[in-house]
Amino acid sequence: MSPLTRLLSLGRSVGFAVVLLAVLFAVNLILRPARFQPGSWGALIGLAAPLIGAAIASTPVILAGRGGIDISVGPLMGFVNAVVIQMFFLKAGISSPLLLVPAALLIGALVGAANGFLATVVRIQPIVATLGTYLILTGVTLTILPAPIGPAPAWLKALAGPWSMLPLLLMFLAWWLVRRLPYYDQLMAVGSDDRAAYTAGVDVTRVRFIAYVMTGILGGCAGLMLTALIGSADPNIGPTYTLIAIAAVALGGVSLAGGRGGVAGAAIGAIDIFLLQSVLTTFNVSTFVLQIAYGGILVLAVMLTALQERLAVRGR
Amino acid sequence: MADRAAPDFRGLAVRGLVIAPGASAITQTIAPGEIVGLAGLDGHGQELFLKMLAGLTSPLGGSIELGASGASRKITGFRKAVASGIAYLPRDRRANGIFPTQSVLDNFAVSTLSRDTRLCLISPAARKARYDLYREKLSIVAPRPDAPITTLSGGNQQKVLLARALALEPAILLLNDPTRGVDVATRHVLYDVFRGLAADGMGLVILSSEIEEILLLCQRVLVFRENEVAAEISGEAMTTDSVISAMFGHAA
Amino acid sequence: MTGRNLFATTNARVVGAFCVAALLHLAGTILIPGYSSPFAVRAMLVLASLLAVASIGQTLVVIMGGIDLSIPFVIGFANVVAAQLYGDGWNFVLVCGLVGVLAILIGGLNGLIARSLDIQPLIVTLGIGMVVQGLVLLWTAGFPSGSAPQAVSSFVSIGGSAGPLPVPWLVPSLVVLAALVVLVLERTPYGRRLYALGSNPGAAPLALIDPVRMWMITYAASAFFAAVAGVLLLGFTGSAYGDVGQPYLFQTIAAVVVGGAALVGGRGSYLGTIAGVLVLTEINTLLIGLGFQPSAVQAALGLIIVLLVSLYGRERHVSTTI
Repeated sequence: MSPLTRLLSLGRSVGFAVVLLAVLFAVNLILRPARFQPGSWGALIGLAAPLIGAAIASTPVILAGRGGIDISVGPLMGFVNAVVIQMFFLKAGISSPLLLVPAALLIGALVGAANGFLATVVRIQPIVATLGTYLILTGVTLTILPAPIGPAPAWLKALAGPWSMLPLLLMFLAWWLVRRLPYYDQLMAVGSDDRAAYTAGVDVTRVRFIAYVMTGILGGCAGLMLTALIGSADPNIGPTYTLIAIAAVALGGVSLAGGRGGVAGAAIGAIDIFLLQSVLTTFNVSTFVLQIAYGGILVLAVMLTALQERLAVRGR
Repeated sequence: MADRAAPDFRGLAVRGLVIAPGASAITQTIAPGEIVGLAGLDGHGQELFLKMLAGLTSPLGGSIELGASGASRKITGFRKAVASGIAYLPRDRRANGIFPTQSVLDNFAVSTLSRDTRLCLISPAARKARYDLYREKLSIVAPRPDAPITTLSGGNQQKVLLARALALEPAILLLNDPTRGVDVATRHVLYDVFRGLAADGMGLVILSSEIEEILLLCQRVLVFRENEVAAEISGEAMTTDSVISAMFGHAA
Repeated sequence: MTGRNLFATTNARVVGAFCVAALLHLAGTILIPGYSSPFAVRAMLVLASLLAVASIGQTLVVIMGGIDLSIPFVIGFANVVAAQLYGDGWNFVLVCGLVGVLAILIGGLNGLIARSLDIQPLIVTLGIGMVVQGLVLLWTAGFPSGSAPQAVSSFVSIGGSAGPLPVPWLVPSLVVLAALVVLVLERTPYGRRLYALGSNPGAAPLALIDPVRMWMITYAASAFFAAVAGVLLLGFTGSAYGDVGQPYLFQTIAAVVVGGAALVGGRGSYLGTIAGVLVLTEINTLLIGLGFQPSAVQAALGLIIVLLVSLYGRERHVSTTI
């Protein structure tokens, strides 16, 4: 058995992203024992949280299939970040989490509903519809917040370290609840074969619309996590999460064709990317090498996933 | 059209073909001018057999050769099959047949594009002339050949696909349930076309889910059961009852 | 025949996009003094031509049912590598040849991986693009140097002229190039196979179309034209800049879609893309002319793309596809 086939067969049983996770974690542990001692895991999770959130948020629409994708998740995070800090906290003086959290989620839900309306009711191709939203959100964010500004409310900043587990856990809990609903089965059915689902009486438009709203709400939450991490408002950070979040989703074994995968995979994919960044910065390599490795690992990972699926099909 | 079915063409020879693990081998010859039917309950190997003849699926054992007096050509893949003179008409028109956004002409010419090129460019006149030949032969009803193929009825779409296959000028034509979803009038047009092709020396293999169709068209029928040829029936012995009982595994 | 076929199926969208471009131009002329001045029109034509070159590949790829996110990275790659090598004293023709060949290899790799392993081209082209950009940055240590030869600069210069025409050679060259692209799509076996493959990938192999080969050729062509755009941009801006292609990531997709192509494949035309390019250029110029901030221009651009596409770029409901 060659190392490659061994890796592939291992990947088949637990998923390639998990293997990568273990390998990267071990490498990190060896290279940077101080940074990766258990005591600092909380801080590490805080650093990774916005990316994990963005990946989780990107998942529902991708699961819904037929080219479903939301490239406006990153800009949405930036928009929530800007609105919450600049308009609500600094201008209106609202600091209570009881108001800010629902407001952020509501913004996300509205943006998600707009995307869903365009992609499912108007039936514009999702990548184009969310590209429009991407441009609109980025533009509006820069208009209300031309330059970075701070600070964030104290409670929000406190969510940066170990406490960033809280919003992540809430996201997982929310998804766990969704999985218990009949809606989840409909979502996966629509994602794997929308014609069959439609023939079986599933309201395909409604199911997809709800997926966009979910992505929006989760994206709003991810925006708060971003705000917690940077402790301020910055109009330029949000959009940078767009493509990397989709890469994390693909790395985590979620099929971009829909109907296969889940948020756990997406989260693991995001952690993989975070750990990879960490390994590469250890070597003190330039951001250029970092980028090469990003792209290379991304392509390699999807190739291995595809090969592993082929082997699985042949083995059947 | 019968160019390749010239006198030296001696048919399609299938030797010791194994289509599923454990199934016994199939040896058959499809002679020029013959129409052979394939019957069986769904999933009993007749479709697999047809796809192997087309080079779309590789067999577990045995060989398929297109015999000509000079050299015989082994069929090892779909392109090889087509190059040797085998054309295949797929079963699912929507999934594997038509190009829905493309015109009738485009759909007709797609497999034989290089025949219309003059200095690397497709000559619309040459293409139209070639299409008209088959339009007449198959009595295709398409008021506007430059309109999308989806504007045609199912029967006419099927005729265009048949024209696409015939444009390859094959010696052997493999038909996978060719009258599925086709109206009765068109069916009889197709039957006449099939008989005419056979009379010109082409060998035809027709998989059909309707026994009447096989009885009407074929000189003999191979009835498949559990990935083997359970019975080969020809001539007078070929009746609805004998075919059905072979399909269900009763002795004929 | 093919001409009329094109007319029947996609013409309405293409004409629609051209009308929108004309209306936008009219609005600009009324609202902004000097909008139709010779200089302003020339500037728009040059900008539109650059985008049109970068969009050739996206058009082909989208007709085939793919998408190419590596275009901006390949533009940056060609831009920087050409400048750097020319600055090192290489012969510029040799430089262009090398950059072209490398681009073709990059594109071919995109197509090979995406099709032969059946992976979403979105991810593959993004990953490959990131690797390419990283390699370029590594090579130049992030500070590219060098410049374009005078010939390239005057070829794209807004103030340039092509013989008696008051536009630089880029514009008439693009017209010729566009005619060639349209001819290839409409009248060559490659073009017809491209539409067929995009229209029904499941039927393509039975019609003797080799999907892997088609994907490799088409992505290679896409990368090649991105490289051409990168070299032209070098002449336009005067110095190398690795991120010069970034605006083209979404603009090429937007131009193709506004021009009436479907991202699911099988539909679209380069004429439509040209119309889309004109629409985008007019919107940009108009909004900037009206005194909008770049951020507001971006927001408005997003809004207009969504509005336009919802006018004529709608997909079919699932119930009609059964």
